[in-house]
Amino acid sequence: MDKKIEILGKKITDLLKKSIKKAVTTIPEDIFDFFKKLYKEEDNEISQTQLRLILENFQYGKKDEIPLCQDTGILNFYIKLGNRFPIISSFRNIIDKVVQEATIDIPLRSNSVDPITNKNTETNIGLNIGLNSPPISIEIIDNSSDLEIIILPKGGGAENVSKLFMLDPIDGLERFPLMIKELIQKAGGKPCPPIILGVGLGGDASNSMILAKKALLRPIGVRHERQDVAELELKIKNSLNELNIGIMGLGGKVTCIDVHIEVSMRHPASFPVGVIVQCYCHRIASFKINKEGELIYEA
Amino acid sequence: MRHNINLPAKVEDLLSLKIGDIVYLNGSIITARDLAHKRISNYIHEKKPLPNSFNKIKNTALYHCGPIIKKINEKYKIISAGPTTSERMNSVENDIIKFLDIHILIGKGGMKNLDEKNLKVIYLSYPGGCGAVASRMIKEVVHVEWLDLGSSEAVWFLRVEQFGPLIVAQDISGNSLYK
Repeated sequence: MDKKIEILGKKITDLLKKSIKKAVTTIPEDIFDFFKKLYKEEDNEISQTQLRLILENFQYGKKDEIPLCQDTGILNFYIKLGNRFPIISSFRNIIDKVVQEATIDIPLRSNSVDPITNKNTETNIGLNIGLNSPPISIEIIDNSSDLEIIILPKGGGAENVSKLFMLDPIDGLERFPLMIKELIQKAGGKPCPPIILGVGLGGDASNSMILAKKALLRPIGVRHERQDVAELELKIKNSLNELNIGIMGLGGKVTCIDVHIEVSMRHPASFPVGVIVQCYCHRIASFKINKEGELIYEA
Repeated sequence: MRHNINLPAKVEDLLSLKIGDIVYLNGSIITARDLAHKRISNYIHEKKPLPNSFNKIKNTALYHCGPIIKKINEKYKIISAGPTTSERMNSVENDIIKFLDIHILIGKGGMKNLDEKNLKVIYLSYPGGCGAVASRMIKEVVHVEWLDLGSSEAVWFLRVEQFGPLIVAQDISGNSLYK
């Protein structure tokens, strides 16, 4: 193998190891800040009791490098590959190896179960490469010589509430915020609220779900660049915060931390709305390197 | 109101607990989630005896939890152990707690169709996602059954100290914070 490619592969492996550990043990600043502020604002005693424990958990997990939640989720890998980055075709091999090692070293809980036999591989990777487990998404970025990888551990409790709505174009735009409100109301404490909502509007059935999950990668408080989409995000967020579900479904002012919507063109006959629900313990880590393997950022 | 409860606990000790109260537990608890519930339920229906270790759990607490466990020098250590969503156990829980003679459930999100009054059971909510701090309150892994289900689905027999804050979310009178 080309020496340079080998060195890059090693660099990516090391950064992935570090980032997976960070992703499961450290809460990003935007979420941490949100909870510190909420603790000052929330006056209900049950909420305060829970918030104290949540903040203590964020600090303890980071300090002692312990997974914040025992559900270290399914690790979703988003790769943004510059079209001028040296060709690395072995992302699947690199990621599978790193995930297996991380499962033992950190450790992660193994969340890869065969749906027919109920057997857990205990490695967090699938038995068949074709099953894309753990899921890897690769996007080619034009005019770039960099590589960026984002890791999103996605737990089961919130994922179970996720849903695809195939609405009628005639009233889909008016109905979908109400469908979402009903979905979250019914879910109550199940997805570990306050939640973050990713919504994929348009595309087809599968693409709306992919967009919805991708929408979760946007930091808290950052609005969509299109004004009409940004307004919808705020409208849905405000409507969910009328539900009084609160922390873990025990009541309180905040049910939803933020709503992120991504849009894509739809078929004239379809109005797909993909909804991915994320728990309050929204863990995410990322890094970017250039074609020399030099670190551009790590978060 | 804040309560300290030592396990095993008499049912009479749970009668005064009201929704919104804070509870800290000391003593023995067991974990069980989806597959363990399914297996216990199958054993009950097939009238098959449970392993002997289950004889000792009367009046303790059942925790809906699939922990991260690491084996260090032949001893199991709890790494992270927050609650899992209790609702997934709705369809079998009444039968199981009746059979096991358990009156305290710990989990998150609450349970539907729980027969609080007849089975004299309370439901305690522990904040989800707080698995790291929970591991500090679990002092010992006493025993494990059914490791063949996988380490997060097995039944772990644990000794806890000042395990909390747990919020009484459903009390014996049938009151619920989720309604």
